[in-house]
Amino acid sequence: GAVAILPAPQNLSVHSTNMKHLLIWSPVIIPGETVYYSVEYQGEYESLYTSHVWIPSSWCSLMEEPECDVTDDITATVPYNLRVRATLGSQSSAWSTLTQPFNRNSTILTPPGMELTKDGFHLVIELEDLGPQFEFLVAYWKREAGAKEHVKTVSSGGIPLHLVTMEPGAAYCVKAQTFVKAIGRHSAFSQAECVEVQGEVLPL
Amino acid sequence: GLRRCLISTDMHHIEESFQEIKRAIQAQDTFQNVTILSTSETLQSVKPSDTCCVTKNLLAFYVDRVFKDHREPNPRILRKISSIANAFLYMQRTLRRCQEQRRCHCRQEATNATRIVHDNYDQLEIRSAAVKSLGELDVFLAWIDKHHQDTSA
Repeated sequence: GAVAILPAPQNLSVHSTNMKHLLIWSPVIIPGETVYYSVEYQGEYESLYTSHVWIPSSWCSLMEEPECDVTDDITATVPYNLRVRATLGSQSSAWSTLTQPFNRNSTILTPPGMELTKDGFHLVIELEDLGPQFEFLVAYWKREAGAKEHVKTVSSGGIPLHLVTMEPGAAYCVKAQTFVKAIGRHSAFSQAECVEVQGEVLPL
Repeated sequence: GLRRCLISTDMHHIEESFQEIKRAIQAQDTFQNVTILSTSETLQSVKPSDTCCVTKNLLAFYVDRVFKDHREPNPRILRKISSIANAFLYMQRTLRRCQEQRRCHCRQEATNATRIVHDNYDQLEIRSAAVKSLGELDVFLAWIDKHHQDTSA
């Protein structure tokens, strides 16, 4: 009888948050069989100058999961074409290509996580480690009428940083946002957190 | 200066990408006693006022000629070349915006410097010229970095 043609994967989309880019698609279901997937990409350079060239993704050749982390492939702030095909035994489907090219400058930037600690009168902050592309802007102020807001730029997360030496009995508030130079964008500020020299961390 | 034009370019990532393939690319270069970017005369003699224009011209040299003329069968190396090529494309666009704001002037000296590179390229067979130019990317990247650093010091 006629050999059934393996359907191509459908519903490709990219979920990108904090410069981590995940290509996902609807799985191809063949009862009783394991279907494998392979992903390829081309940057704007390839689509403009060598459009026949498609590059195998770093991590996703003949894998079972209907998703692929393409973060290591999307390395420039230009549009990228992405495509997927299914393989079952010796049979491969047609390629399915992402309908809209993906540009990393569309990634969702979330406010950074931060941890405030007191070391005596010293207020110490540790920001979420989001990777080498992330810088942080930290704003802090003494909680009193007319207080001046101070700003510090932090070049990387995951490292405790002395923010300010606090006055006894005063309360200090802190908020932070990320900045990604490669795409020239920053996140919203985090919720402000306040700390009192002898008290506990107080929500606003 | 160049720093303002290329402020959002991740030069470190480009250099990292090249370092990972440098040995493999330079091993393909069979004309070791010939150079295309000719470091001593061409790039080093460029005046600070010409750096933006020479950068723009050499980016075009790599984007329009070198990356196109090179054939790379190894996927690992191909990924790194693609990463650099797309980063250069982004840099071109950034410099073009700079030029629209009239901060990237092109004088005759700059044009001469670039023509020497193209002449050197044309002396060799196209694949040999492409692989040699790829192998000399560190010369170009170091030159950009130097001018990036100088203007920001």
